[in-house]
Amino acid sequence: MIRDYYNRHALDEKLRGAPRPPSANHLAIGHRQAVAMALAMAGEEEAVEKLLSSTTEFAVRFSAPGEWLVVSENDTPEGLQRRLDALCSARVYIVDQSEARVLFRLSGPSTRRILAKGIGLDLHPTAFAVGTSANAFCGHIAVNLARTGEDAFELIAPRSFAESLFDDLMTMGREYDLTAAFAA
Amino acid sequence: MASLITCPHCGVRPKEEFAIRGDASLLRPAPTASDEAWHDYVYVRANPRGRTLEHWQHVGGCRRFLVVERDTFTHEVHSVTDGAAFARENGR
Ligand SMILES: [Zn+2]
Repeated sequence: MIRDYYNRHALDEKLRGAPRPPSANHLAIGHRQAVAMALAMAGEEEAVEKLLSSTTEFAVRFSAPGEWLVVSENDTPEGLQRRLDALCSARVYIVDQSEARVLFRLSGPSTRRILAKGIGLDLHPTAFAVGTSANAFCGHIAVNLARTGEDAFELIAPRSFAESLFDDLMTMGREYDLTAAFAA
Repeated sequence: MASLITCPHCGVRPKEEFAIRGDASLLRPAPTASDEAWHDYVYVRANPRGRTLEHWQHVGGCRRFLVVERDTFTHEVHSVTDGAAFARENGR
């Protein structure tokens, strides 16, 4: 039997059924975005960082020194790979992560309180400003956390942990009436 | 134990994000060194009361090896350095 895993989102089963209308605090699950890991070759870390931040075609998330996640809403996975290859030719290793990572977008007035239940970082805007991103633990799951707005965060998690993280986030957000749906 | 570690790459983080990988002050003996030297390097550890140098790996963040200088008695953290930078500074 041949299954087409490409078209099956990791959270299809969780989000099956009639969606509730989004409340003030909402968790949007990204699909159809391209995610790639960029690893700078030895000695090219600074050059790659400069090149990656020189364009607005995609978002760049810091993972570690010389390592970033690149998220694109418009490119296909192949398109993003080509774009990155052209941009930083022979300075960086690109590994497609589009099917390996799941993107969670948490927004609403209570996001910081919700995240504080699982993430051991100071999320005050003076400590974790808009545009900042870093790897962290959410509960016991390793995620990349990024602040995309005053009250908006993005979490990128490994696909195999997506269901656990989804359950955790919904439990963390239950007292704030957190709703969830696939992003439009 | 020190509960907050300031990773040079990720900022202030709880100790739960780190794996402690032991004494960072030891120097690996030459391959031809005596069995006693290798035995000491692999097995023999002090249990100091006071300042220690340790390898901490930031597994929940940047995954880099860090060298943490901390006090086992007062729980104070004196410095956190990236492992590669530490090796360079100390000519290892
Ligand atoms: Zn770190």
